Amino acid sequence: MQLGPLLLLLVILTVFAYIAGRARAISLAGGDSRKLHSLPAFYGRAAAIAAAVPALILIVVWLIVQGPMLESRAMALLDPADITAERSIEAVSADVHRMTGGLNAILRSGQTPSTDVATLTGQLKTHNVTLQGAPTASMIAAATALEVGQHRSRVWLSLLTALVALAGFALAWRQITPEYRARNATERFSMALLIGCSLIAVLTTLGIIASLLFETIHFFQLYPWQKFFFSTTWNPQFGGGSDLGILPLVWGTLYISTIALVVAVPIGLFSAIYLSEYAGSRMRAVVKPAIEILAGIPTIVYGLFALITVGPLLRDWIAQPMGFGNSSTSVATAGLVMGIMVIPFVSSLSDDIINAVPQSLRDGSLAIGATPSETVRQVVIPAALPGIVGAVLLAASRAIGETMIVVLGAGASAKLSLNPFEAMTTITVKIVSQLTGDTEFASPETLVAFALGLTLFCFTLALNVLAQIIVRRYREQYE
Amino acid sequence: MSGSLFEQDRKTAVRNAAEKRFRAYGLTAIILALLALVWLLISILGNGLPAFRQTMMTFPVTLDAAVLDKSGNRTPEELAKVTTIAYGKVLATSLTAELAARGIDIGALQPKDIGSLISEESSAQLRNKVLADPALIGTVIPFTVLATGRIDGYFKGRVTMASAALDKNTSPEKLVLADKMKDAGILAMRFNTGFFFLPDASDKRPEAAGLGVAIIGSAYMMLIVLLLTLPIGVAASVYLQEFAPKNWFTDLIEVNIANLAAVPSIVYGILGLSFFINFAGLPRSAPIVGGLVLVLMTLPRIIIPTRAALQAVPPSIRDAALGVGASKLQTVFHHVLPLAMPGVLTGTIIGLAQALGETAPLLLIGMVAFVKDFPSAPPQGFFDPASALPVQIFNWTTRGDPGFVERASGAIIVLLVFLVIMNAGAIALRSRFERRW
Amino acid sequence: MMKDVRLERDVQTTTAKIEARNVQVYYGQNHALKDVDVDILDKTVTAFIGPSGCGKSTFLRCLNRMNDTVASARVEGSIKIDGEDIYDARVDPVQLRAKVGMVFQKPNPFPKSIYDNVAYGPKIHGMTRNKAELDAVVEACLRKAALWNEVKDRLLSPGTGLSGGQQQRLCIARAIATSPEVLLMDEPCSALDPIATAQVEELIDELRSQFSVVIVTHSMQQAARVSQKTAFFHLGYLVEYGETGAIFTNPKDPRTESYITGRIG
Repeated sequence: MQLGPLLLLLVILTVFAYIAGRARAISLAGGDSRKLHSLPAFYGRAAAIAAAVPALILIVVWLIVQGPMLESRAMALLDPADITAERSIEAVSADVHRMTGGLNAILRSGQTPSTDVATLTGQLKTHNVTLQGAPTASMIAAATALEVGQHRSRVWLSLLTALVALAGFALAWRQITPEYRARNATERFSMALLIGCSLIAVLTTLGIIASLLFETIHFFQLYPWQKFFFSTTWNPQFGGGSDLGILPLVWGTLYISTIALVVAVPIGLFSAIYLSEYAGSRMRAVVKPAIEILAGIPTIVYGLFALITVGPLLRDWIAQPMGFGNSSTSVATAGLVMGIMVIPFVSSLSDDIINAVPQSLRDGSLAIGATPSETVRQVVIPAALPGIVGAVLLAASRAIGETMIVVLGAGASAKLSLNPFEAMTTITVKIVSQLTGDTEFASPETLVAFALGLTLFCFTLALNVLAQIIVRRYREQYE
Repeated sequence: MSGSLFEQDRKTAVRNAAEKRFRAYGLTAIILALLALVWLLISILGNGLPAFRQTMMTFPVTLDAAVLDKSGNRTPEELAKVTTIAYGKVLATSLTAELAARGIDIGALQPKDIGSLISEESSAQLRNKVLADPALIGTVIPFTVLATGRIDGYFKGRVTMASAALDKNTSPEKLVLADKMKDAGILAMRFNTGFFFLPDASDKRPEAAGLGVAIIGSAYMMLIVLLLTLPIGVAASVYLQEFAPKNWFTDLIEVNIANLAAVPSIVYGILGLSFFINFAGLPRSAPIVGGLVLVLMTLPRIIIPTRAALQAVPPSIRDAALGVGASKLQTVFHHVLPLAMPGVLTGTIIGLAQALGETAPLLLIGMVAFVKDFPSAPPQGFFDPASALPVQIFNWTTRGDPGFVERASGAIIVLLVFLVIMNAGAIALRSRFERRW
Repeated sequence: MMKDVRLERDVQTTTAKIEARNVQVYYGQNHALKDVDVDILDKTVTAFIGPSGCGKSTFLRCLNRMNDTVASARVEGSIKIDGEDIYDARVDPVQLRAKVGMVFQKPNPFPKSIYDNVAYGPKIHGMTRNKAELDAVVEACLRKAALWNEVKDRLLSPGTGLSGGQQQRLCIARAIATSPEVLLMDEPCSALDPIATAQVEELIDELRSQFSVVIVTHSMQQAARVSQKTAFFHLGYLVEYGETGAIFTNPKDPRTESYITGRIG
């Protein structure tokens, strides 16, 4: 049977196991549930878990293994002569898969698939299956083998699942006695679930690293790593012979992020200083959330703002009159808007850090006759400096990893220029353009996006870890 | 230091001046930050509010059987053969007739030009209406059509007589006629409900572009994110906060979560492409993939405030429950977690709000595609291609027609309204239900 | 009975350095200090004693206008130093605090080097013309604080790396570096061990030859050891003020006697 009904059957079996297990426990206790170690519901739960969990594990493992195994067996039936320069292995296998789906549909509608190529193609068409090229004999054989294999696999899976579920239930049934610690057993299972959920974080990291690393290695097999890291030209070509050097992209990224920090750090830091040292509580209550709003606005909004408002403004009032260029997408545009976005990161974190400096230090300085600004400049900020550096690093990491503002505000041309009013692109923009373009997936032009992604990931990770180390060392000073 | 306290010595005067300057820097910084915010909002509102009104024309349409059903049989296959171009001609003819009946002088324009004032999308809408109810053929029905993007732009100030003279899609004569139609009451600007319910439209028809598909796509994804991150996030937080022993493995998990919260969102897009689409074979541009990617991204952002909420519950509550003989799990789920719930829900809503605005990862899993069909109901609908609000905004921004800039800004306003509602809800929840221990 | 050292010390001068008349302090609605009238003498150590919350620290903080930093605090009445009302609108608290130094309960050296801690005051007030003069001031203050020999080889190491007693002496050196005329000390020994306490008390006795010292203390024995004049505060009122010897052997007010004999406090 199909997956949906199979899961439904499993659910029914589980519910049955729960009811039966619970009833058994109560009956063994002679109808008096107080004689049981745990509440009756726990016995039911234990039985249900025993029925459901092994069966679910079986289904998951089976489905993971089934795909590749059946596929490799079917593809082995393909005639190597069918794979030519015009029809790559990916195209052929895609057609085989489509045929399999078509065969399935034909069978389900009660017809028999024809062995004649022309009739078969007609049959497939009536079930809305169109192939890229003409099906060959070996392809038909492969598709048939795949279809038969899938059908048989489904049958076996359904049988085994039911069997495993019933076996699990039987085992649990035998264990049910009034002394059986059902609650502890179910709680052990719950704990396992909790731990599993916590592991998702680790799994995600592993997944990110694996997905990046895999395809990056694939990329470096197709393109020399020296050229990637050291070439100063970025010029992907459709047919091959591309230049894929990361340096212009790194330059654009760092240039824009630097401008963003130049905007955000003074404004954010001075806002934080004013709010924590000078502002009254009413002003704080209004201004602090207002600045936080800047952090909650989605980056696509900033991107559009850069494209239609800031870009033309900078071009018409500064770049054109001063002869710096006439592009509305530029480093200055993206940098300015990104700076605005990053202000709350700097100001919020700095505010927390400045507030953490003990009041006794401020009192000591004021008592000597220092003005509040001297106290801030010479006592509070030096004391808070590691934390502030950490905040700036985190803001830098955010700016470097930002995508939408640069996609819309910085343009797509990769160059190494000092003119901030020229369009210069970044790593993130190129990741998007190379992965959403028309080039084939296995080509270096597409795979380079993974290498770019890995570089970006490592760089931002290093910044984040450095920021955490600095902040942690700072906290030790005051604990 | 001797000397009267009543006289400010020179050095102190200099220092006090420096003090005033320093304060001024701080205040200036705050004003600059707030001005930037105001500038952003005014720009968006200015560009986007016009999207909520649309120029429409209402007139009686003669559904001429000679054009629409030549054989006279009213069979569905025959009717379906009549293309939208024919329907467009029907509309043009009817409008010309109406103008003549009202005595409006069309000047040098031809009937063909009259037709060019009407959006091509309306022809398709009329066709769908007739195919749904063939009995209408031969009757005269009142019908509302959208004016084309250029006419709409004229009434919103984007298009002027001068620019119309240079534009190949319109002409000053057409604009003059549009003015006359407005005076006669045939043409009016009305509230644009289509903006919310229509699906996306093609490049040349900004007047008909709507957020219907995008809103549903985003809604599906938010549903998936909510259903998955809440239980998993709470489970992980409970384990890490209440049960995990202090060893290297727990440290590893915690460091991982802190780092994942700061990973650029585009990396999650790459993960989604590699794992969910290439490895697991899920369909591109489907809400299920977008939802799963957003789940992975939102989990660390929910775990951090959830742990803080759990930590805020005082140990005395746990001690009391344990003292009565509850197991640790029962203590947590019967006592601690319910008390921490307001904080947990606040963190979840804020995490959802952040996920709603994410664009980059969705671009990589294929959501750039132009989607005109509404996805079906869940659970099947999770696997149909769809769009999402931020992706639709991005898509519209990259189109050439200036009418789409207005659409994109309008869509941003819709997005921001959703975000404001969610954040306000979170804050209201926090202030009403959060306990101060 | 212990040897009464207090009777051997006599008061050197009778000039009033600080004159307080009718001082009231409010924290919001709370009337924390009521009707305080007192003359603090120059070149004398004056002790403020009394139970917790009686207002002695509050009054101390009025003398260098540190209460200005508390938003809800309001001070009324007149406090004159050398005949000038320090709450006059013409007075800049910054200048006042160069003239009136303060040492706090918990040592609070800046996270800077020992040298920079002491040099901070003279630098911001522009009191020295060059580095040589600054070095001389730092050395002189560290010597006066009886810390020089212990730290002369590590002036550039952080001030926070010293022991508790050394930190407090560093704070004293820092406070006297601006050549104040009055030195306020808010329970300076409460966070120190007995040996460090003894060192600081010896220091206070030496300092009184140059400054007018006002010390708030929880310990009556300490007040008896170091001060010449004592003021007893209770529930926001200044109950009694007089020669230390007289306060402890022959108090006039019954509340003073209750405190001294331990019946209240």
